[in-house]
Amino acid sequence: MNNQKVILWIIGAVVLVGLGTLLFTPKGGAGVVNVGDAKMQELVAQGVRVIDVRTSGEYEAGHIPGAENVPVNEFAQAAATWDLTQPVAVYCATGSRSASAVQTLEQLNFSQIYHLDAGMIAWTGEVERGTAVAAAPVVPATALDSPMLYEFYTDW
Amino acid sequence: MAPVVDRLKKEYEGTVEFRLFNVDEDTEGQALMQQYGAQYVPTFVFVNADGTSAGQLVGEQSEEALRKQLDALN
Repeated sequence: MNNQKVILWIIGAVVLVGLGTLLFTPKGGAGVVNVGDAKMQELVAQGVRVIDVRTSGEYEAGHIPGAENVPVNEFAQAAATWDLTQPVAVYCATGSRSASAVQTLEQLNFSQIYHLDAGMIAWTGEVERGTAVAAAPVVPATALDSPMLYEFYTDW
Repeated sequence: MAPVVDRLKKEYEGTVEFRLFNVDEDTEGQALMQQYGAQYVPTFVFVNADGTSAGQLVGEQSEEALRKQLDALN
């Protein structure tokens, strides 16, 4: 009888500890959910904030409807002003630049982060084209030491 | 494209500076890509020594097409 009581107490303690772990998840560093095209379309329909971290030129050529354009080199500064309790979904062309944006969101302790990890190339929904939310700045020509060729490429 | 660009880079050394950016990793490249309004990758942006833009080529290019733009730089 006593042994049965002890066993019941132990089982009860284990269940309580398990429940406690599940219910009281530490704040910060919340999990990132990698999503595919179908789930991303659901998130868009739900009105989740969607951020396109490509350049304004890429964004203007075609983006997920309703997405805001925040190029990845400006992302940290912008994200610091957002409500970190609200869900955010991010994407880029192939998932590389957006992975960096996801890390930034994790560091800022955003609680709900969605990542279209295959990128815009996996998107099969409607595509919006046109003016970026933030226009690229006009930069006056600056004399260089010599003529220049810039090549912009990715590994894919 | 890499072998073609590497070959041209050596040939034009001292005349034209080549700067190649993997925009998935390079923040300076991302900023420049935005500055020049480049929309796709690869994009080649040609800039004269006075800083004025001398044109862009989008997508994979023949060596001949790149040479033509490089020879037109001043």
